[in-house]
Amino acid sequence: MRRGRSLENSVLAAPVVLFLLLLLGFPTVLDIIYGFSDVTFETLRNPSFNGLDNFRTVIADDDFWHASWFSLKFGVLTALAECAIGLFLAVYLAPLIRQHPWLLAFLIAPMIVSPAMMGLMYRLVLHEFVGPLPHYLYTWMGDSPAFLSRENVFLTVFTIETLQWTPFALLLLYMAYEAIPLHVREAAAVDGVRPLKRFWYVELPQMLPTLGIAFFIRFIDGFRVFDNIFVLTGSGPGGSTMSLSIYIYEAFFKSGSIGKALAASILLFVTSFLILLLAGRLIRGRAE
Amino acid sequence: MKNRSLLRFGMAGLVLMAGAQSAWADVTVLGWPGGPEESALRAATDIYNAQESVTEQNKVDLIFFSRDGFFDKLQADLAAGTDAFDVNLLATYSIGRYAAYMDPISLSGEAESVFGDTVLSTMQFDGKQYGVPTDLSLHFMYYRTDLLQALMNDEAAKARYAEISEEYLGKAMEPKNPDDWTWEDFAANALYFTKAVNSESPTRYGTVLQMKNLLFNMMVFHSLPRAYGADWMDESGNITVDSEAYRTALQLFKVLLDAGATPKDSLSYEYAEANAAYASGQVAAMVQWNAAAAELTDAEKSPTVAAVTSTIAPPTGPEGRFTHIHGLGLGLNRNAPNREGAQMFLEWLSTRDAALAYAKAGGAPGLTAETAAAIADERADLVQLGDYASSYGFVMNGATAEKALSVYELQAKEFTGYWAGSQSLDEALAATKAGMAELLK
Amino acid sequence: MRRRLKTALRWLVFAVAAFVLNFPVLATLVTSLKTNAEISSNPGLWVFKPTLENYAAVLTVSDRLNIFAYLQNSLVAALIGSIVPIVLCFPMAYAIARREYGQRLFFPLVINLRALPLIIFAIPLYMMYRSLGLLDTQLGLGLILAVVNLPLALLVLVNAINDVPLELEEAARMDGAKLGSVLFRIIVPVCRPALLTVFIFGFITAWNEFLFGLMLTTRDAVPMTVGASFFFASGGGGVQWGVAAAVIVVAALPPMLLGMLMYRRIGGSMMAGAIKG
Repeated sequence: MRRGRSLENSVLAAPVVLFLLLLLGFPTVLDIIYGFSDVTFETLRNPSFNGLDNFRTVIADDDFWHASWFSLKFGVLTALAECAIGLFLAVYLAPLIRQHPWLLAFLIAPMIVSPAMMGLMYRLVLHEFVGPLPHYLYTWMGDSPAFLSRENVFLTVFTIETLQWTPFALLLLYMAYEAIPLHVREAAAVDGVRPLKRFWYVELPQMLPTLGIAFFIRFIDGFRVFDNIFVLTGSGPGGSTMSLSIYIYEAFFKSGSIGKALAASILLFVTSFLILLLAGRLIRGRAE
Repeated sequence: MKNRSLLRFGMAGLVLMAGAQSAWADVTVLGWPGGPEESALRAATDIYNAQESVTEQNKVDLIFFSRDGFFDKLQADLAAGTDAFDVNLLATYSIGRYAAYMDPISLSGEAESVFGDTVLSTMQFDGKQYGVPTDLSLHFMYYRTDLLQALMNDEAAKARYAEISEEYLGKAMEPKNPDDWTWEDFAANALYFTKAVNSESPTRYGTVLQMKNLLFNMMVFHSLPRAYGADWMDESGNITVDSEAYRTALQLFKVLLDAGATPKDSLSYEYAEANAAYASGQVAAMVQWNAAAAELTDAEKSPTVAAVTSTIAPPTGPEGRFTHIHGLGLGLNRNAPNREGAQMFLEWLSTRDAALAYAKAGGAPGLTAETAAAIADERADLVQLGDYASSYGFVMNGATAEKALSVYELQAKEFTGYWAGSQSLDEALAATKAGMAELLK
Repeated sequence: MRRRLKTALRWLVFAVAAFVLNFPVLATLVTSLKTNAEISSNPGLWVFKPTLENYAAVLTVSDRLNIFAYLQNSLVAALIGSIVPIVLCFPMAYAIARREYGQRLFFPLVINLRALPLIIFAIPLYMMYRSLGLLDTQLGLGLILAVVNLPLALLVLVNAINDVPLELEEAARMDGAKLGSVLFRIIVPVCRPALLTVFIFGFITAWNEFLFGLMLTTRDAVPMTVGASFFFASGGGGVQWGVAAAVIVVAALPPMLLGMLMYRRIGGSMMAGAIKG
């Protein structure tokens, strides 16, 4: 019985494991070698081993820490905002959407546009002379802020990311909300529990796992943000909007420091892996 | 049931995949997509392919990458030793980076008389010719003739002009003909035409500066420090970016930004944003790439300003008048499957006939005065282009080095940091100097 | 009366949310209908002289610019990139959710892939693809897009299977059903909303992917996102706003249509799930 199970498990796992090994096996090995080598585009075929040099460079680089902090802050804040707004809209609009499911199409439209293109369009939308937003602000308020100045740029990219990806949270959460078994809801309704209370004590707990997943996915995506910011401000004046992905991309392509880019990636991977591992332990530990 | 239909959907997709392999011509040329460079290259290629002396297996086929990430893709292709193309695009500022994957070429005997030495040298690295120059990029100053005319004819305005320049730049100045401008005149003019400084200004901003953290913006910027005598390094290789010239230039930009003489969001502006600002009619003058002339002087595309916009070389400084120049060109991939065919095409491309055909079809080659005279009727702008290139063109010492692009990147980051106020001028210059010493050693 | 007021308020909230969220999409749509001259002179959301010239510029098939080929490449690659991860991850997700198999190491390892900038795989993949002949093919592009989508697929599927009541499965097991039939007869139908969601998210992500599309294709398998920027560079260089906007609209249409077709299914199948539960 036990052996049968483990065989079954292997069969279940085999496809995805094999696929990953085939596609990423060689690149991963090569990348790890590069991470410990002095390597540029010219020396891709004969990197010279330099131990932990790349890692030392990265750790001593202020920009790396700034970029990490930017990504962390950006990931947490956008994920929080997206989940909060998404949750509100999903639950509040649920009766409406249930009757007219096509409304969902309007709500999820923003995420269909590729983020790089979205960034490009914001260059137009926010432009003082040709953008609609400053145009209406000037017309109605008499002034328009510098959206991308050093002081405002974080708020601006935060808003852009949140507007584009709130629909993601909304869709996941709406599904979770609708998946709450009817009898649970009905039981509460029969007991005469008021809607707000019912939401808080009955429905929200049912949605918690999905809320966690939505937050987690949005956090990761916010953390690795690249396209829209890169198109809009590059890495920002003096590097003020440099996310970790932009840091790695620039190290890789703009300065050709492949070893440095990979060392940073390896650090990122190992750190987040350890965090996930610990989090997994904690959750399981509490469950047991 | 539904799973099965999903599966069928997938299968249909897999079948669709069998895309037809397009026929491969024997010299594959990778060009710059989407603009006049492409139409010009197409026209020239058609002429080449129509020649009887060109055999079937040496006919030229063009391919193009997307503009986005073009150079990153090219870098990856070349570094991995691609043989997908024989001839590829090359730019002056990236020549050092790509030379390692390319081979020097020989040009036709006419090349020197067609292009001239300055222009040919934009395609040289380590004393060897790596490409045929096709297009030349430099900067013009674009200005509003109507506004300047009005200013010159108004005594009260002139007095105001003097007051403003006294207040911001420390000396009373008077309006001048743009061809005689120094960079100080440029600044005084920019301040005068700024609403925040002069409430009577007809435009919201006196100029528009491209200050996004982007390497190309450093090219637009550095004609200014050059006019004060700046260079990247001296003859013996010492980095000289912390010179008085760079200081003056960086501070001048900062003064203009802080005074509100350039749009608030200038720190995120590049080519397209600057054009849009200028085309709106709310900017009096700017320094911008020559490529923008086509758009800004076209009444269809820029109705507000086209009729009243004129172009001239950038302002002058104590050490002279300068414009950044760089060339685009075509060179030979080291792993080219058809080297001979490629070499033949490149040689032909450097002949007089080819250059003129290229120019007629909309390209912007840097031509000598005699060559440009042959098409002066159709392309008067090329005469101006060639003239400015030979009179004012400069390349910083080190700007074709292997890591030149990284130097621009570094400057973009540090200088924009200073303009944005996140670091002091000393910090910015010290960091740039240290970084450049590392990159250019 | 009160009920009606509440519904009206809901519509109002919907309208505001839809407007704010879609503001940039709306602006793009409007811009795509403006001439260059109008873009530089009229920044508002109203078009005075609507034109289709931007669309004409995009949809004209020239000797190298074949937008329909790009669309086809994108469609094929995105289908591979969104279906393959579902097929691969579903059994694994079951093992993780129900048996905690691979939960300790494999699961976080794969999830972590999403946090990495995948650019770091570009060069080694390029070399590998070259020797395998996958360079510049729809299959090659689709496979790497599948890798991009794997983490999300696994995460959402594990969550979905976790939510399937154990009793359903146990009942079937009692009747002597094999694992395979439990998976296909019980789990798949109940998880249909999740599967569809993963498919939609995956398709959109794959459709919009740019970097690998750029690096791994040259002429035969160029996807829409890359083909689109033949017209302009989003970073550096000139931008023809009108054409760019038209490209965005054209490129967004297929995933938009897909979403429209799918929302019914999501809605419908969710009801079914709720009643069963």
